[in-house]
Amino acid sequence: MATSRFFHGGLSDSESSSSEEDYSEEEEEEELEGDAAAQDDSEESESTEDDDNDDDDDDDDDDDDELEDGNAAELQNKKNIFTRDADDEEDSDEDGLRRIVKNKKDKRFEEIESSIRLIENAEKINDWFVISQEFDKLNKLVTKAGHSDVVPKPYIKAVADLEDFMNETLVKEKTAAKKMNATNAKALNSIKQRLKRNNRQYEHEISQYRADKENYLLEPEIEDVPVTQKPAFEGVEPERVDDDSGAYSVVTRGGKAVQLTKESIFKHLKVIIEARGKKNTDRTEQIRTMEKLLELAQTPYQKIRVLIALVSTRYDLSFGVLSYMATDQWKAAEIELNTLLGVLEENPSWVIVENGDEWEDDEKAPPTPAPGEIFKISGSIISFVDRLDDELTKSLQNIDPHTTEYVERLGDEAALYKIIVRSQMYFERLSENKKVGSIGDSLNRTVMRRVEHLYYKPLAVIETIEEASYTLLTSESSSGALRSDLRKEDPATIVQGLCAHLYKHDATILRTRAMLCHIYHLALRENFYKSRDMFLMSHLQENIHNADITTQILYNRTLVQVGLCAFRNSLISEAQSCLQEILGSGRVKEHLAQGVGPQSRYSTITPEQERLEKQRQLPFHMHINLELLEAAYLTCSMLLEIPAMAAAGSSPDMRKKVISKTFRRMLEFHERNVFPGPPENTRDHVFQAANALAAGDWMKSCELIQAIKIWDLLPNSESLKQMLAARIQEEGLRTYIFTYAPFYDALSLTRLSEMFDLAERKVAALVSKMIAHDEIAAALDQINKTLVFRKGVEVSRLQTLALALSDKASGLIELNERVFEQKAQSGAVGGLQENTTRPGGGGRGGKSRGEFSGNSGGTRGRGGGRGRGGRSAQFTGERSAKS
Amino acid sequence: MSSEEPQVPAVADATSKPEGLSAVETARKYDLTPKIMPYLDRHLIFHLLAFLRDQQFYPAEELLQNTYDLLEPTNMTDYLMDLWKQIHGKDDIDIPREFLLKREKVMQEWNSLQDETAKITGLLENPDVIANFRSDKIQNLQFLKDNHGVTDDMIDALLRYGQAAYSRGSYDQASDILYSFRILSTDSDKVNQASWGKLACEILTVNWEGAMEEIQKIKEAIDTKPFLSPTAQLQQRTWLIHWALFPLFNHEAARDTILELFFSPNFINTIQTSCPWVLRYLVAAVITSKKNSGSSRAAAVQQKQFKDLVRVVRQELYEYSDPITEFIAALHLDFDFEEAQKKLGEAEEVIRSDFFLQVFCATEQAEGVESKNAFVESARHLISEAYCRIHQRIDITDLSQRLNLSQDDGEKWIVNLIKDTRVDAKIDYKNGTVIMNHPPQSVYQQVIEKTKGGFFRTQVLHAAVTR
Repeated sequence: MATSRFFHGGLSDSESSSSEEDYSEEEEEEELEGDAAAQDDSEESESTEDDDNDDDDDDDDDDDDELEDGNAAELQNKKNIFTRDADDEEDSDEDGLRRIVKNKKDKRFEEIESSIRLIENAEKINDWFVISQEFDKLNKLVTKAGHSDVVPKPYIKAVADLEDFMNETLVKEKTAAKKMNATNAKALNSIKQRLKRNNRQYEHEISQYRADKENYLLEPEIEDVPVTQKPAFEGVEPERVDDDSGAYSVVTRGGKAVQLTKESIFKHLKVIIEARGKKNTDRTEQIRTMEKLLELAQTPYQKIRVLIALVSTRYDLSFGVLSYMATDQWKAAEIELNTLLGVLEENPSWVIVENGDEWEDDEKAPPTPAPGEIFKISGSIISFVDRLDDELTKSLQNIDPHTTEYVERLGDEAALYKIIVRSQMYFERLSENKKVGSIGDSLNRTVMRRVEHLYYKPLAVIETIEEASYTLLTSESSSGALRSDLRKEDPATIVQGLCAHLYKHDATILRTRAMLCHIYHLALRENFYKSRDMFLMSHLQENIHNADITTQILYNRTLVQVGLCAFRNSLISEAQSCLQEILGSGRVKEHLAQGVGPQSRYSTITPEQERLEKQRQLPFHMHINLELLEAAYLTCSMLLEIPAMAAAGSSPDMRKKVISKTFRRMLEFHERNVFPGPPENTRDHVFQAANALAAGDWMKSCELIQAIKIWDLLPNSESLKQMLAARIQEEGLRTYIFTYAPFYDALSLTRLSEMFDLAERKVAALVSKMIAHDEIAAALDQINKTLVFRKGVEVSRLQTLALALSDKASGLIELNERVFEQKAQSGAVGGLQENTTRPGGGGRGGKSRGEFSGNSGGTRGRGGGRGRGGRSAQFTGERSAKS
Repeated sequence: MSSEEPQVPAVADATSKPEGLSAVETARKYDLTPKIMPYLDRHLIFHLLAFLRDQQFYPAEELLQNTYDLLEPTNMTDYLMDLWKQIHGKDDIDIPREFLLKREKVMQEWNSLQDETAKITGLLENPDVIANFRSDKIQNLQFLKDNHGVTDDMIDALLRYGQAAYSRGSYDQASDILYSFRILSTDSDKVNQASWGKLACEILTVNWEGAMEEIQKIKEAIDTKPFLSPTAQLQQRTWLIHWALFPLFNHEAARDTILELFFSPNFINTIQTSCPWVLRYLVAAVITSKKNSGSSRAAAVQQKQFKDLVRVVRQELYEYSDPITEFIAALHLDFDFEEAQKKLGEAEEVIRSDFFLQVFCATEQAEGVESKNAFVESARHLISEAYCRIHQRIDITDLSQRLNLSQDDGEKWIVNLIKDTRVDAKIDYKNGTVIMNHPPQSVYQQVIEKTKGGFFRTQVLHAAVTR
C-alpha cells in the first residue's frame, strides 16, 4: 500500500502526497475524537465551559499533528526520491498502474464509508459537533474521490438520511424542555445551513433514493474503468538497422532492445523530450540513453541537441524545494554544460537562444549554415547556469557546514564560477553579433551571478578564483574565440567593472542588487565614505521595503557591512547608526538570513513559511559573523551611551533620550545581577566594561574590551584595540566630568591628564569642546590651568519642566507650520515633490547626511522609524500572505 | 551660449616640479585652478591663467602655450597671433598662413552676420518700434512680424551674432545684442543660453550689478525648468556656483545675496556633491563677512550660516580639505587653538596665490592697514572669540602669542574686541590677565526666548488656514 501511494505521489509534487497523508491521519484521529465525544455525552452534567475547553484542546492537537504530518510527509517524500527508481523497476508497467487506481478507489470508498458510519453513530447519541466535522470530511472525500458527475451512492444515502434526522431533531428541539448545550446547538445550526446548500446539488439523486430506499444501493454502479495511459515509450518500435556498425542496442524497460544509431538520434531525442514531465518516465534510463547518443553524435547540431536535452533531464532528476541535486549528477551536468559551451564556441554558426527557429522535421538535421550565417536553436544557456548555481547553493544550505563534505562541495564553486565566466563570454559574443538579435537579459543575469559570487570575498580570494578560472579556461579550450575574449581582470576593480556594466544595461531589480553588492564590496575593502555616499545617493532606503525579500536581505547585509567598515575605521557613531537598525531589532538572524531565530510566542508560522525561510538562508560561507557584529555594536553603543547617560544625570526628561534601546535594556538586566561573576562571553565583557567606564575606571574598562577574543577575526586587530583604548580614555574623561562635576568647584587639567593618561592639550581640547557645546557649565582658567565650574546653574524641577514645556510648544508650532507648508505646496505644485517635500532633495544633490542619522535614530527619527517599521511589517505581511 | 561646455585645457601643473620655495610648493599643492576650470568659460579661464602667469608658480612658457591652446577655438585672432609670436619668438613675417586665413574667414562671417541682423537691430533702435512694445513677448513678436516683416530666423541670427561678438572679445556689444535677443525670443532654451552668455559678458566687463541680475535669472531658470535628468540640473548649478565666485569676491554688495544663494539647500548640496573645493571660498566669504554685521537679523543669519558652514566642513573633511577649511575644523570641531594658529599661517599663503581670494591682499595695500589682510584679520577675530567663550581667565601674553601679535598690540586688540563685541570682560593690568565673566543664562530668559514668537506664529498660521 505504502509503495503504491508513493508511486503515485512521486510524480505529482510533494503537496498532494502530503495532503493525502493528512487524510489518513485524520481518520485515525476521528475515531479517537469520537470516543472522546462519547465520553462527553456520558457525563452530561459537565458544564459547557469545560466542553469548550476540550474542543479547543482538540483543535490544538490537530494543528500539531498536522505540523508533524507535514514534516513526516516531506521526509518520506525525500526518501522517496531515492527509492523510487528501485520501485519502478520492480513493477511491470501496466499492472502497476491498474492496481494503483483500484487501490486508491477502494481506499476512498472505505474512508467514505467509515465516515458515514461515524455520522450514524453520532446521530444515535445526538452529538452534532462530531456530525458536523464528519460531514465536512465526507464532502471533501467525495470531491476528491472523483468525478463530480458520478456521486457514490452511499454518500447520497448518508446525506439524505442526515437531512431527515436533522429535521426531526429540529422539531424535537423546539418542543424539548431541556435545551442542548451550546456547542451542540451551534454545530446543529451550521450543519443545517450547509446541508441545505449541499443537498440542493444532488436533488435528483436524493429524490431517487427517497423513492426507493431499499433497492437504491443495490443498483449496479457504473464502474470507472481506469484509462491506462500507454507509456510513451511503447510507441517507439525498436529499429533494427543491421548495417550500422556504430549501433548500440539498449534494453528498454519493456525488455525490448532498442537500437541506437546515428540516424535515429533525433527520433530518440524527440521521444525523450515528449516523455518529459509525464508520469512514469524513467529519467535515469533516459540519461543513460542520451549519454550513449552523445557518444554517437558527430555533427555540432546533434551534439548541441543531445546536450540540451541531457542537461535539462539531469535537472529534472531532483525536484521539490528542499531536496538538492546529488553531487555526481551535479558534476555530470557541469561537465556537460561545459562541453556544450565548448561546442558552441567552436561552431559560431550554431547559437542557442530562447526564441530559436523551429525545426519541424526531427528526422534529419537542418542544413549546416554557411560560414557567417547562423542557425538558432531553441534553448536557454542562462537558465542552465542559473539552475546549476541554485543547485549548488541548495546543497550548501543542506550540508552541515562543519563537515568536510561542505568544504569539498564548496570546492565546486570554482568550476561553477568558470562556467559563469565562460557563459558570460558566450553571451557577450552573441550580443555583438547582429544576426542573433536580442538575447534578452541573459548577459545581465550572468554578470549578476558573477558579481554575487565575488562581492563578499576578500581581495585575495577573488584573485585566486579569477586566476583559477582563467587558467582553467585557457588550458581547457582550444577555441580561439574564447581566448580572444577572455581577459585577465584586475581583482581590485572586477566587481566595479561588472557592476558598472549592470548600471548601464539594466533597469530592473538586478541594478539594485548590483548596487548593493558593489557597496558591500566597497565596505569590505575599507572604503567607508565611498560606500556610504553610494548608499545615500542611491536612495535605496526609501523604497527597499518594496523589494523582494532576498533583496531586502542583501540590503541588510550591506548595511551591516558598512557599519562594520565604519567600526574598523574608528568612526564610532557612524558604525553605531548603521548597525542599530539591524541589531536593535533583536531578530538579527532572520534579517540577515543566517538562521532562524527563536519563535516568538505570538506568531506561529506554518511549515510552508518555515520552508520558504529555510530556502532563503545563506550558505554558511557567506555568513557575517554575528558575534563580531554584536561585539562591535555593543562597544559602539557603550562608547556613546555611557557618557550620554552620565550627562543626563538624574533628570527625568534627559534620561529619555536613548541612543540604543537594546544596550540600555541589556545594561539594566546586567545590573540586576547581584553577584556578577567573571566575564564569560562577549556580552559580559562589554557590560562589565560599561560599568567600569561609568564608574570612571577606564583602565579596567579598557582591559575588558581588549580581552574580547572576537576582535582577532578582524584584520589588524591590534590597531583596532588601540583605537578602542584611546576612545575609552576620552569617553572616560567625559563621563568622569559629567558624573563628578556637581562635587567640584574646580578641577586641575594636569590632574585630569594624569588620571586619564592623556596629553594635556588633548584634555584641554576635550574640555573646551564640552564647554562650547554647553554640555557643562564651566570655563577654563588659563593661569592656573584649571577647569572652573560655575555655580548656581542647577535648575529646579519646576524650571526643568517649564523648559521642556516651552520646547514642546515651539516644536508643535514648527510641526504645524511644516504640515501646512507641505499641504499648500503639494496642492500647488503637485508633481514636483522631489523639490518641495524633502528639503535638500533636489535631484542627485540629495546627499544630505541627515538621512543617515535620521535613520539611525530608529524610533526617534521620523523617516527612520517609518522605514524600519515598514520593513518589518513587510516581512510579517509577506508571511501572512503566504499562509 | 555654446561656450557652456568648455574643454579643459591640459594645464601641466602636475608635471615636473623644479626646486623652489616652500611657499610655491604650498601654492601649487592647494591650487584649485585645474579643478575650477572645467566649470568656467574659456574667456573666464583666460583671466585665471593670466593671474597664474603673474604669480610665477609655473613655468611661463607652459602657461603661454596653455593660454594659446585655450583660446584657439575662439575668434580673437589678433590676440592669438600675438601669443603665437610670444611662444615662438618670431616676427610678423613668419606667421603661418592659417592665422590670416582664419582672420579673413572670421571677418567674413562677422560681416555676414552683421548684414543679417542689420534690419532687426535697426528696428530695435527705432524709438517708434520700442514704444509699441508691451510686456508680452509673444505679442511683441507678432507685432514685429506683422508690421516689419521680422522672421524667426532673423531672431536666431541675433543669437549667433551675439555669440560671434563674444567670441571676438567685444563683450559690451555681445551683452547688448544678447539683451535684445532675450526680449524677442520665445525659445526658452535659447533664452537660457543667452542668459549664460550675458552673465559671462557682465563678468568680463566688470559690471557686477548686471551679473547679479543674470545670476538671479539663471537660478530661477534652473529651479523652475523641468530638467530631463537631475544630473543636468546638478551640472548647471555647479556652473552657476563657479561663475558666481567672480562677483562674490569682487563686489561687496553682492556678497550677502550670493552667500544666501550658496547656503540654500539645493546649492549647498550641489557644493557637497560635485565641487567640495568651493568650500574654501565659502569659508573665506563667511569669515570675512562676519565683521560687518549690522542689524540683529543679519547677525542671526550669519550665525546660522556659520553653523551650517561648520557642519558642511565637517562632513566634507574626508573629501576635501585645505588650510582654510582645516582652520575652521581645528577651531570649531577640535578646539585645538595651536593647530588653528598653524593652519592660519598656511592659509595666508594659499590666499595670496588664489585668484579669487587675492582680493583680500589687494584691499590691504589700498587701505594701507598694518595687518596683513582682511581674511587674517577676521580669522583672528574668530579665534579670540572662541577663546574668550571657553576661558574664564586669560593671560594676555599668551593670547597675543596665539594671535601673532606683540604684548602691547595684543592688549590693544583685546580692548578693541571687548569694545566691539560687548563681551563682558575686564583686564587685570597688574597680573596681565583678562577676566571673562560668563553670566549663566537665566532659565526665565530661556523660556521667554523660546516662547516669544509662538503667539505670533500661531496667529499667522491660523490666518493662513482659515483663508
